[in-house]
Amino acid sequence: MSSYSELVKNFEKIRELMREFYVYGFKRRDEYDKKSSRSYDDERRRLESWLGDYMSFAQTPEGKNIFISIDSRVSRHNPFYKALKSKSFTDGDITLHFILFDILDSPKTVLSLPQILAELDTYLSEFKSPMLFDESTVRKKLKEYTSLGIIGAEKSGRRLVYRRSDDAALPKMNDALSFYSEVAPCGVIGSFLLDKQSEKRDNFSFKHHYITSAMDSGVLAALFTAMQKKCIVTVTNTSRHSSESHKNRIIPLRIFISVQNGRQHLLAYQPDFNEIKSFRVDYLSDVKIEEPTPRFDELRSELDKMQSKMWGVTANGKLYGKESLEHVEFTVKVAEGEAHIIQRLMREKRIGTVLKTGDNTYRFCAEVYDTNEMIPWIRTFICRITELNFSNMGVQEQFKRDIEKMYRIYGIEEAAK
Amino acid sequence: MIFNEIYSAYYNTVAKIIGEILNGNTSDADLNKIVTENAFGESMLNIMPAIKSEKWQLVKSDLTTPIKHIPTMPLTLIQKQWIKAILSDPRIKLFGIDTDALLDVTPLFTSDDYFIYDKYSDGDPYDDEKYIAHFKTILEAMNTGKNLKIEMTSRHGKTVYARCVPKRLEYSEKDDKFRLVTSGCRFIRTINIARITKCNIYNGDTQIEADDPQTAYDTVTLKVSEERNTLERCMLHFAHFQKRAERFDGYYLLHIRFDKDDEPEMVIRVLSFGPMVEVVSSDRFKGLIIDKLTKQKLCGLL
Repeated sequence: MSSYSELVKNFEKIRELMREFYVYGFKRRDEYDKKSSRSYDDERRRLESWLGDYMSFAQTPEGKNIFISIDSRVSRHNPFYKALKSKSFTDGDITLHFILFDILDSPKTVLSLPQILAELDTYLSEFKSPMLFDESTVRKKLKEYTSLGIIGAEKSGRRLVYRRSDDAALPKMNDALSFYSEVAPCGVIGSFLLDKQSEKRDNFSFKHHYITSAMDSGVLAALFTAMQKKCIVTVTNTSRHSSESHKNRIIPLRIFISVQNGRQHLLAYQPDFNEIKSFRVDYLSDVKIEEPTPRFDELRSELDKMQSKMWGVTANGKLYGKESLEHVEFTVKVAEGEAHIIQRLMREKRIGTVLKTGDNTYRFCAEVYDTNEMIPWIRTFICRITELNFSNMGVQEQFKRDIEKMYRIYGIEEAAK
Repeated sequence: MIFNEIYSAYYNTVAKIIGEILNGNTSDADLNKIVTENAFGESMLNIMPAIKSEKWQLVKSDLTTPIKHIPTMPLTLIQKQWIKAILSDPRIKLFGIDTDALLDVTPLFTSDDYFIYDKYSDGDPYDDEKYIAHFKTILEAMNTGKNLKIEMTSRHGKTVYARCVPKRLEYSEKDDKFRLVTSGCRFIRTINIARITKCNIYNGDTQIEADDPQTAYDTVTLKVSEERNTLERCMLHFAHFQKRAERFDGYYLLHIRFDKDDEPEMVIRVLSFGPMVEVVSSDRFKGLIIDKLTKQKLCGLL
């Protein structure tokens, strides 16, 4: 029988469950059907262990609901980072880690594998039942640490010798780490660095702060690495709406980040369909970096051109074909003393133009790939929209029907009679 | 790459415990405190027993250790790459950091690799020397426990003065703006950094009574439809609030707690979902939506 541990070997297992608890939070135990009930209980217990006070319970007639409730404006550090600090390890791993760095205590200490093994035995001989590490285990660990950049390996004659990597001469950056660990992509790396700082500072708090992207840090880092190397990747794409996973071989071009809903999308070229399309980063896993592609720069500049016609993450369908653009135009009235509405139009419009069309009216116009993406924003001007002119008539009619429906829901028609 | 035990709470905790023992402190209470402060809720059941039983051969059962140096670990490659990436961010100037560090390191990402597509375009002026100087003065005051004397331009164009205790800098990713949250000044709770015209450490004799700035909260309850993937969009959109969801036949109720000062913003955020999200309570919030719709009806769009 396997015993419970608050640490996990595979983060993917818990990634989806954490999002479900945080974003939704109304599912009961019996609804998490993908896992066995014991596995569900273990994972729930882990979340409680990591997130403690943020876990809440609600008893409903149908059963007990568990959810994570975090006001990210109050919490100064992303609580989900804790989950990324929960990797399991063996007794040998942790023993070897601390002894290796004690043996290689400075970059000036340069030792071969046999010398390290001899030193290791000296350390372990002090214990009642000393652990035994064979040569291949230690070599493997040194190789792993070399690839992580914390140990350097070099040839000395015919032998490979090892030393700890130089400590980078870094400026004092405690405040910068506190800030960027929350707002920069892959901010959890900043959190790892903060863990090593003796002086703790909490000078920053964050408004409109979406924290779920923390769970996608590993995927994001791999995609950035691929982009830096201009490489093709193979990723597994699993939508919440489908139980099936698909392998996609794509050229990652740019990460699109929303600070209004917290979603992150990868815009990538899919050679099989000759199109640039978006992929939700939270649906991606298992990123395998393959060979570099000579087409990277050309494709990225295609995306650059498209961006002036993208409101959100919908790019042009086929590359090099005819662009399928939609015209979006709406007019708002702005009364005296409402200069903030004009400011809103100017600062919130991502593309397109705003024109003064009358004493009290302003018109927004744009050509976009997808009118639908703009609808939520246009609705925020409800109370002052005087005209709509969409080339996509279906979307225009839907917009008007939705407003009629809102009148009915809130009894506006009755009130007007 | 990122999910690795070398960054784990357990490794960090064990490093601190070994350091404490090397410094001569083997008090159970102090070592347990290190575990409580640095690891997880149930770690107490694992870490000290594993150390004391010599399961991890780092500390002997008598709490002495063959380890000779306070544990340290060099930066990993990805840590250096991430730092290199943030050194190119325009806001780094606010922190007075020499950006020439890590010259031989490739950044993990550059500004070409990601795009924040829905950030407002009138963000703070991070290149403005005065803005940078004010920001640094505020940080210095917070780090040294000093008070501030601030001159600023109000929303209505008037010059306003404040002596205050700086509590924290609040950053909005959507607005791309910093605000200073203060206490001790009766009329001003938050100050937009970009509105500051003068900012100095206050060394005067006037005593400033600091209190904890209290936020006044309100709750809105939304009825969320299952249509057009609204549930997922709504849950994600409001994910950063303290909230609770309930499921009923064919719809969901979402209770969201928000700062009362943000009510106008909340109203338009709810409106952005159209008829798929209906305000159930409070009556006051519902009234604000009805007011907007009544005005819209008068616009004669339909």
